[in-house]
Amino acid sequence: MKRFLATALQPRLLILLVVGIAMVLSVSGNRFFAFVVGITMISILWTAGMNLLTGYTGLVSLAYAGIAGISAYGTVGLTMRFGWSFWLAMPVAAVGGAVVGVLLGLPSLRLKGFYFALSSLVIQTVLSLGFVYFVNLTNGDTGVSQIPPPDIPFTGGSFHGVSFDLLVMFAAWLSVVAVWAITRSPFGSRLIAIREDEVLAEAIGIDVVRNKMLVFFVGSLIAGVGGALYAPYVGFISPRSFDLLASLSIWLMVTFGGRSTIMGPILGALVLAPVPFMLQQYDTLKDVIYGALIIAVIVLMPGGCYGTLLAWMQRSPTARRILPKRLGSAAE
Amino acid sequence: MNDIFVARNLCKSFGGVQALSGVDVVQRADETLGMIGPNGSGKTSFVNAVTGELSLDSGKVNFGDLDITGVRPHEVVTAGLARTFQAVRVFSSLSVRDNLRIARMLLGDAPHALDATDRAELLQWLKLDNRLDAMASGLTLFEQRRLELAMRLMMRPKMVMLDEPVGGLAPSEIREMMQILQELKARCAIFVIEHTMRVIRELADRVIVLITGQKIADGPPVEILKDQRVIEQYLGTPHA
Repeated sequence: MKRFLATALQPRLLILLVVGIAMVLSVSGNRFFAFVVGITMISILWTAGMNLLTGYTGLVSLAYAGIAGISAYGTVGLTMRFGWSFWLAMPVAAVGGAVVGVLLGLPSLRLKGFYFALSSLVIQTVLSLGFVYFVNLTNGDTGVSQIPPPDIPFTGGSFHGVSFDLLVMFAAWLSVVAVWAITRSPFGSRLIAIREDEVLAEAIGIDVVRNKMLVFFVGSLIAGVGGALYAPYVGFISPRSFDLLASLSIWLMVTFGGRSTIMGPILGALVLAPVPFMLQQYDTLKDVIYGALIIAVIVLMPGGCYGTLLAWMQRSPTARRILPKRLGSAAE
Repeated sequence: MNDIFVARNLCKSFGGVQALSGVDVVQRADETLGMIGPNGSGKTSFVNAVTGELSLDSGKVNFGDLDITGVRPHEVVTAGLARTFQAVRVFSSLSVRDNLRIARMLLGDAPHALDATDRAELLQWLKLDNRLDAMASGLTLFEQRRLELAMRLMMRPKMVMLDEPVGGLAPSEIREMMQILQELKARCAIFVIEHTMRVIRELADRVIVLITGQKIADGPPVEILKDQRVIEQYLGTPHA
């Protein structure tokens, strides 16, 4: 907790918090833009968790959106069917999603790299089918609509409009702070060691199995919190909200911005999350842009935009002086 | 009697290939034990099996008072038995400093962890003190071997198993590494696999010869290098 608080008070993260608040407030007059900003904030939250798995541990989990979906449907079920408070339903559903995430992470103990990504893709497909076929729980393809916003405890009111925007913004900021704190802790160093070389990590005393399971829990927990917030924020969820494309777009944001950096995935989400809204009338064009971006980033900037920028700055003697020396990434 | 490492009747097969058949190895805490044998004789399989990388078909391994049979690699290290690899393994995309920082995490703030003075002395001894900010991938093979060793010593092991520590090094580097390994004896027990007979002769107090997974000889280097079976099955010519 002390480390978390110390991290949260880092000047760069405080600036991020202020910028986030300013961003939300500046667009609050226009509900469409405010909504786009809110979705971008939820995307930042998701990319933080995905970055922990993919960037820092080297586990490309394409079942990420499925985990978020489990939590979203769980939260919706508990609040709408059983009348639970959102603040009770969200942690229960998010932890439920995280436990499922740990179970789905078991193949990573045997499979590595591309093969694990493939297995997670299969898992994502199974989860998507589950959302469609367990109609009693998910309402199938029709989805669930008119999801109530989170209640404000002890007041009888609820979060809506700007207050809800600020809530998701705060959740996004907290997830970035959490991931930042983790990457600077011994646990974060162990994850980086596992990413670099599992055999060597074991040989210097790191319990690879335990740490992998732990990171799946934390990463999935963040996915779950995002899912729980997404459902009432949008007001509607369906299997398409948490399908493979959703997983891929979160992965793309992380990769485009720069995995294993803190700022990279934020940049990726800021640039890419609004794209579907901006190109609503050109749905096909949106897919083409996404496809082109995936290819361009993989070929031209394997470290992502922010990673490439850092790498360039490291080569420049002047810029190198202002960069902090940190473990695990280009410079962060 | 002051045995630090005891392996009894180790057996391991891969399908129809018997990598280890009934291998017994006992090492005292104050001796350096060498293991030689041709390629494919089971030397690395032996190290992999006792350090938990490979599961054994049968047999028992004790390290000090602990039974480490079937124990996972990180627990073997925690018990005080570290190892290096035939193909040098360091975190190549991290700096030397970060490699050492990760290795140091095992002991953390434990009372027996190396303090700052010990660490500085270790890095100076291994001539890594002026290479801390270099990326591990940018080091020469000899520097990487020294880094690998430094990472193990950061964990204060009671014993280190070295898998071909001079493999791929130039003659001058081999001489320097030999000096390091001689000095290493004062820090912990050493088990060394080597093909270079000079290394074994100068370093080991006792040598075990492994051929097709079976121990065919065990004794002081001078005797082993004259052993008729060892000459016939491995050395080819006498190494006096």
